[in-house]
Amino acid sequence: MNYMPGTASLIQDIDKKHLVLLRDGRTLIGYLRSIDQFANLVLHQTVERIHVGKKYGDIPRGIFVVRGENVVLLGEIDLEKESDTPLQQVSIEEILEEQRVEQQAKQESEKLKVQALKERGLSIPRADTLDEY
Amino acid sequence: MFRCQSLEDCPLDEDEDAFQTLGEEDEDIDQFNDDTFGAGAIDDDWQEAHERLAELEDKPATARELEDGAVSDEMDLLGHHEENLAERLSKLVIENELEDPAIMQAVQTQPPMQQPGGLNSSIWDGSAVLRRIRGPLLTQEMPSVSVLEYAMPQRPPQGQEDERDLSERALPRRSSSPVIGSPPVRAVPIGTPPKQASVPNFNQQILCPKPVHIRAPMQQRYPSPYGERMSPNQLCNVPNSSLLGHPFPPSVTPVFTHLQRAQLLGGAQAGRMSPSQFARVSGLVGSPLTSMNPKLLQGRVGQMMSPASGFRAFFGAPPPPVPPPSQQQHPPCPGSHLQNLRPHPQMFRPDTTHLHPQHRRLLHQRQQQNRNQHRSLNGSAGDRAGHRSSHQEQLRKDPYANLMLQREKDWVSKIQMMQLQSTDPYLDDFYYQNYFQKLEKVSAAEEMHGDGPKKERTKLITPQVAKLEHAYKPVQFEGSLGKLTVSSVNNPRKMIDAVVTSRSEDDETKEKQVRDKRRQTLVTIEKTYSLLLDVEDYERCYLLSLEGERPALMEERKQKICDMYDNLRGKTPSQERPSDDHFVQIMCIRKGKRMVARILPFLSTEQAADILMATARNLPFLIKKDAQDEVLLCLLRPFSLVLYHLPSGTVTSLLQQLANLPQSATAPAPANLHLAAVLQNKFGLSLLYLVLSRGEELQNSNAATELMQDNQWTELMSMATRELLRIPEAALAKPVSTPSNLLSLFSRYVDQQKLNVLETKLQLVQGIR
Repeated sequence: MNYMPGTASLIQDIDKKHLVLLRDGRTLIGYLRSIDQFANLVLHQTVERIHVGKKYGDIPRGIFVVRGENVVLLGEIDLEKESDTPLQQVSIEEILEEQRVEQQAKQESEKLKVQALKERGLSIPRADTLDEY
Repeated sequence: MFRCQSLEDCPLDEDEDAFQTLGEEDEDIDQFNDDTFGAGAIDDDWQEAHERLAELEDKPATARELEDGAVSDEMDLLGHHEENLAERLSKLVIENELEDPAIMQAVQTQPPMQQPGGLNSSIWDGSAVLRRIRGPLLTQEMPSVSVLEYAMPQRPPQGQEDERDLSERALPRRSSSPVIGSPPVRAVPIGTPPKQASVPNFNQQILCPKPVHIRAPMQQRYPSPYGERMSPNQLCNVPNSSLLGHPFPPSVTPVFTHLQRAQLLGGAQAGRMSPSQFARVSGLVGSPLTSMNPKLLQGRVGQMMSPASGFRAFFGAPPPPVPPPSQQQHPPCPGSHLQNLRPHPQMFRPDTTHLHPQHRRLLHQRQQQNRNQHRSLNGSAGDRAGHRSSHQEQLRKDPYANLMLQREKDWVSKIQMMQLQSTDPYLDDFYYQNYFQKLEKVSAAEEMHGDGPKKERTKLITPQVAKLEHAYKPVQFEGSLGKLTVSSVNNPRKMIDAVVTSRSEDDETKEKQVRDKRRQTLVTIEKTYSLLLDVEDYERCYLLSLEGERPALMEERKQKICDMYDNLRGKTPSQERPSDDHFVQIMCIRKGKRMVARILPFLSTEQAADILMATARNLPFLIKKDAQDEVLLCLLRPFSLVLYHLPSGTVTSLLQQLANLPQSATAPAPANLHLAAVLQNKFGLSLLYLVLSRGEELQNSNAATELMQDNQWTELMSMATRELLRIPEAALAKPVSTPSNLLSLFSRYVDQQKLNVLETKLQLVQGIR
């Protein structure tokens, strides 16, 4: 089997459902409609999926244009196995709330950790704000 | 018809007056020029020449304008002149780019790529044009309807047409949808070429109908499938939103999707890349008969434009004879429009009035299909199998599929291919090539063993390009001051006219004699190394070359090997027998020693023997110098290979050199320092063993011959044995390997007692190892 160089190999994936993980940690799922040599993507019927624990929620985003540099990974979704997930889908409000709670908890524990370290005279570099996602 | 009209309107002509007023000033300038350069220095009228050139520049532009007129729309009226100008300029640039031989070469030599769609990318291919225009929109539903039918709509009643005109010529309304940021209804794809005539007459409208206002009613857009530009919050606020239940609500209204697609398609054609520009590109790419003649191309672009306008005609077709009364008057604002529409249960129907009747019918059919599909989807939501099948069906009937045209896909692949192009992949992409060779070797080995299922490896498609010399020739205008050049990425402007003058060899050598010797040696090593790399590459070249070129290649290789040898020996043509000095210098440097080990296999037997001799002669010195590096050992393997090919006479003299005996001398001084030094070194002892072992082999194979030499050999042997016996055990170095036939060799020259001593000594040595 042969493949095209660079992003041209994505051409074969066009019009298929894809999951794209962005650099800021967001997960998008949509149909790949168009690409270019920079791997800029046009996603159609996009949903942003938020996972918290065993739950997930989809926020409809419509057409999503992704600048290529922000793509961390991208893969086709097997439509046959898509609904085989053990995860439970919940409503948007619920998942947003869950996410908020999770982030808060994370921040709290982070704070505690920093404090504990401080008491011992250690300091850790500030966590990247991007990690919050 | 309208083309002539537009010519008169051409704004360029208006500049004529301005030129007239400038004329008087120019007289003065001419006077100044005469004063500066002398009368008659500038014979021809520069002004005239400039005007002529300017005309040349303008002509293609006007020609293109005319063609653009065919697909024109209201852009001009909206005052988007500048935008068009910029577009035209960019077209010119692209044109130049494409005439660049480097790009042409790249583009033309593309290997045919495997494409899933299998669509012919050539624009000039008639069927492709049709397909392209119909695009994803029509391929499924109406394969039998030709575009030409749409291109020539029936004449509508005059009055109606006028009415439509008024409403359509208005600025595209921004949507006043309750959904914030919902897409404005665009009447005109961005970046479409301008129209020349300011007041389009009736004829023109038939030929190049305007794109239609797409009036998707609010309610349809409102629940538009995925909340296109809605923020999640907004979505949440929509009361009882079906979105909350399932991400892809079934209320996808086909009318909207179609219209939106039309928008997208229009945008793709006109916005991203102007159609003519794209046509030019792919025309050059796809069609072999396309010469570089721009006129020819222009003609073709013109040709392809008319179907494109036909596409718009399809949407801009006059309304059907009896439209529903409620649609006759277009509401002034979207709000009332919305109100008007709400009560109607079937919203898609009134809105298709501006579509071709046949298309409308098809839309209707399709919508019902869709509805059925959705119903089944919703009804059997829990049913996995039903869900799956409908999924597949959806995929098959994906109305948005092939949004990216084949042409555009080709474009992307071509750009990627261009980056990979190389005339010599071995040089440009050494690591990938080697890596892949290794992979192939592994898979070949696996196949040989036959274990495991045959794995199919993915292979990168790399373009193969024939080597083409491209000399840069700057474009010059005759009589211009300085250099006017057109530069591009591939043809960078030459900034300096630097002339490379290579100094003669004499100068170099003279200069080098002044410098210190070590540096000279280093230079020699570097030079020889590059020769060596070349020679090593010849095998690859040989396989790649044609039959006819091979003898020449062989000759070249031979010459290079000779050069290497001469470099090693410091031989100049005048000198018959070079001194060892040069060679020893090289051998004192680590890199030099390694290099000699690599060069040896390439040398002829005589040359290799000479190297061997020189090494043996100077071994104690070399050993002393090698104390830090300890790389002399890497020479052992090539030396043993060489030894294997040497005749007995050479082996004898080699031993003689090792023992440092003059050619015909009798027993030397009791303590042979030279040999002692050799024995105390690992490399020296190993080499001695090798030589002795080889000698023994030769003795066994043809004992009777060369009696005279035998005598000498015996003499040398006894001396070597004596030295071996004399040297204290602790001082004896550990050889890399001890040849098996050494004992039988020694047994021939020493008595039993001494042999035992030797044996214990050697075995002890082996034991320690």
